[in-house]
Amino acid sequence: MEAEEVGARLRERFPDVVVEPFPGTAGRIRFPAARLIELLTEVRDGLGFDHLGQVGAIDWVEERELFYTVWSDRAKQYLFLSTRIPAGEPHLESLTPVFPSANWHEREACELVGITFDHHPDLRPLLTPTGYQFHPLLRSFRLHEPEELEVKVRDV
Amino acid sequence: MGSVSAAPTALRAATNAEMPLPMITEPAVSFVEIETLRAREFVPAAKEALGSMLSEQAQGKLIRPMFNWAGRNSLFPLHWGLACCAIEFAAAFGARWDAERFGVVPRSSPRQCDLLIVNGTVTWKVAHKLIALYEQMPEPKWVIAMGNCATGGGPFRTAYSVVPGVDKLVPVDVYIAGCPPRPEALLDGILRLEQLIKERKE
Repeated sequence: MEAEEVGARLRERFPDVVVEPFPGTAGRIRFPAARLIELLTEVRDGLGFDHLGQVGAIDWVEERELFYTVWSDRAKQYLFLSTRIPAGEPHLESLTPVFPSANWHEREACELVGITFDHHPDLRPLLTPTGYQFHPLLRSFRLHEPEELEVKVRDV
Repeated sequence: MGSVSAAPTALRAATNAEMPLPMITEPAVSFVEIETLRAREFVPAAKEALGSMLSEQAQGKLIRPMFNWAGRNSLFPLHWGLACCAIEFAAAFGARWDAERFGVVPRSSPRQCDLLIVNGTVTWKVAHKLIALYEQMPEPKWVIAMGNCATGGGPFRTAYSVVPGVDKLVPVDVYIAGCPPRPEALLDGILRLEQLIKERKE
């Protein structure tokens, strides 16, 4: 499957998404954050990309980027999707109803980049300790003295 | 200790081939009693038992040195690997360095151990598990911080998730430098700990 084919099949229902060719994959889709659930359901059921491999997040200071990697077991191809949300209001609909494997990826993005996922079943920290106050992968996170980052272990 | 007497009856019934195996619904010795037995310091108990036979002076010269001698020649470290130091830890117990000739035998349960070798980077996420392991070990117990990470955070000291030295969590007796320390260094640390135990007073 090529990027042109992906674009042609999505154009009618999703005129607001941009499909670009990306070497070695079925393409790269940029889409508005409001259409996340709708688009990913179509990508799963209509285009046959049935496995969500990764959810990642990047802090671009003014806005934050979410990217999703889906894999088609039939076509043996990846498809990249990405969306941007304003940094002032970093929340997004959770993808867990469509792909249950998004659960832990979204927990990780929540604690490290500080993005809140609405309607996520269990948004506890995955890697950082309970009660941790920082989002370490934000660009505004500075180097701390070790004592500043101390966690009250006995209370956990 | 009232429920202890139930144990021999149950055992005798189990070994008798004619009788069916009894359904054991509760342990003969309760969990708390086992913990109390294990955590008890041996020296006061020995003094109580030998008090009528030995003078005060003879007790001081005999009991504590004897327990120190036994303790330092059978250190049981916890078989617990955190990072690359655990590879050196494993090598120290292999054929080439053979730490078992000093009586050091790794055990898989903290309840059978008296030595905690922290061999690797400790993150804040795992910190309370380390404390739980330490608190399960019976008295008397010792801790060796192996390598730069356990000693002071090492190269990850300023990282956002790393404990800057395991002595923030548990009391440490011997620090071993190195990244990672060679098995000889670990053996040296164990021998220094044996020296510490030898000099241990009341």
